[in-house]
Amino acid sequence: MKLIYDGTFEGFLTLVYDVYYEKIQVKYILKEEKYEALLLDETYIVETNKEKYYKVYEAITKRFPKFYVEKIFNTFMCDSKDFEMDLLNFIVLGFKDIKQLENINHIFIANLKNLEHELFRHVHKMYAYARFKELDDESLYAQIESKFNVVYFLGKHFKKRFNNQNFIIHDINRKIAFIHTDSFKGIQNVAGFEQPKYSKNEEKFDKLWKSFFKAVSIKERENLKLQKNHVPLLYRNMMNEFN
Amino acid sequence: MRKDIFEKMEILSNSAKYDVSCSSSGVETKYKKGELGATHTSGICHTYTADGRCVSLLKVLLTNFCIYDCAYCINRKSNDEIPRAAFSPRQLADITINFYKRNYIEGLFLSSGIIENEDHTMILIIRTLKILRNEYKFNGYIHVKLIPGCSVELVKEVITLANRVSSNIELPSDKSLKLLAPNKTKQKVLQPLKYARDLSLEKDTKPIGMSTQLIVGATPESDKDILKLSSVLYNKGLLKRVYYSAYIPVNPIKNLPALNTKPPLLREHRLYQADWLLRFYDFTWDEIVNDSNPNLDEELDPKTFWALNNLQYFPMEINKASKEELMRIPGIGARGVFKILKARRFKKLNFLDLKKLKISLKKAKYFITCNNDFQREVAFRPDAIKTALVAPKQSLAQPTLFDMFGEF
Repeated sequence: MKLIYDGTFEGFLTLVYDVYYEKIQVKYILKEEKYEALLLDETYIVETNKEKYYKVYEAITKRFPKFYVEKIFNTFMCDSKDFEMDLLNFIVLGFKDIKQLENINHIFIANLKNLEHELFRHVHKMYAYARFKELDDESLYAQIESKFNVVYFLGKHFKKRFNNQNFIIHDINRKIAFIHTDSFKGIQNVAGFEQPKYSKNEEKFDKLWKSFFKAVSIKERENLKLQKNHVPLLYRNMMNEFN
Repeated sequence: MRKDIFEKMEILSNSAKYDVSCSSSGVETKYKKGELGATHTSGICHTYTADGRCVSLLKVLLTNFCIYDCAYCINRKSNDEIPRAAFSPRQLADITINFYKRNYIEGLFLSSGIIENEDHTMILIIRTLKILRNEYKFNGYIHVKLIPGCSVELVKEVITLANRVSSNIELPSDKSLKLLAPNKTKQKVLQPLKYARDLSLEKDTKPIGMSTQLIVGATPESDKDILKLSSVLYNKGLLKRVYYSAYIPVNPIKNLPALNTKPPLLREHRLYQADWLLRFYDFTWDEIVNDSNPNLDEELDPKTFWALNNLQYFPMEINKASKEELMRIPGIGARGVFKILKARRFKKLNFLDLKKLKISLKKAKYFITCNNDFQREVAFRPDAIKTALVAPKQSLAQPTLFDMFGEF
């Protein structure tokens, strides 16, 4: 059967509950937003239910070592991928025999491992390529576009390096932001926003950086293909030296 | 005329670019509450320039004025064709902080031409570091080029402030040094590194990371000479890394390759591969190069080359070989080995399993058996395997980009 759920973590754990107790044979799982009804589809629509969610959540945190719980969270951050079938198999197997979760010969475990690897690679690239601008109140502001939901990871990372700074990391597509100010530290939804006012220093350092970027390249070694391998076009929107 | 800051940046980063080292890795992840900056264990490359090299640190010279006259160096004293400039310590510290806050860089890579004398130059560098560390409370990464010939007290001060120090040997033999860098000797170049090592040994803190750079292709040394030197430096615990830099002619001097010589990029690449084998794969230098093969093979990477010359160890049975043995299989790296070890605890692996684990078999398949299964297309002889690796059978030869630039 085809399962439809609302794409949230709560929704997914509700789905786990339903599959388990109603013994559904799952063919595949779709997020609501991706689903287009076809006439002959045999579908089951999961209705997110707080109680079911809590039950599954508690069972997981009780039965699974912390390492695996984190893996489940991480997988969920890869929101542009269809990880649901693999994750469902993973959780089901975990309840059956937790030791088997180390067995990467199960294709879904290998898949999740590779996906997590892809996530961390992406996170690392975002550590590197996210760019901040100084606002007129001296706080730092970064606008990001990313293929996975990485605001949490970025917040944790930049909290260490900008410990004495106020900063905001704003994911414009997912409409969330990590905020680090004296009064608030954490992730918030951002409904609407105005284009912020940048400090008057901004232009000078932007220009300095660009002249540095140009000057350190060695002409005799030019290799644009290699550059593109390292910095795919996807990231270049954020990076001032490419604009 | 006074130069503005943009001009200075252009001149001083342009002069620093021939230094290859740019890593910000190999340090503990560290930060302090209420301060600015942190280091990141794996290092972070913040952008890549048009030549495909990473930019992790703000790599500049404090000044490109220099009293030395090294033939391979663009900043040599007798070169009147380049503009000269200098940053003040304050200016450079401010730029570093502002670049850091915008997440352009991991920190600073500071080197300098020699003005007045060695100690004076070193003092200017230390002044910059002190502004960053003490005044701006900056805990990001700082790499300092030690000035050969400066006094031990100054080295002492630098290693308490920097995350990594280095001193470039540049030329692998004393003979070449004498010829091209008359003011330097290997002894003199290594001296500050030895100081730094001894100082951190005394204090029994974790020793500061050190590195050096060797120029490849300017002088006639073979890869054997180079790798032997690197290996000695690693074994003595003196260095964390050796960088190799394909020589790019910058000066028209008769002892050096002509200005239109292309940098030997493939050779540089092979040296890095060999260097990795030394540092992470437990190879010794004489396994990679020896008197009958003093230079690395251009067609094959050093690991494959070694395997073909030592076929007695192969084919290896994936399900039985030890970790150390698996590491020697061409085309399989540390991550692949890790996956194999993990997977074979649960079942006997076959070729399909390896594929599922996303382990590349392109090279490895000629050197392994999987549960007694093996590839049958190519005979198990060095020449046959080599042909298969170097010139894979092509369906209908279509000219590719590679053919057009055949010589690379």
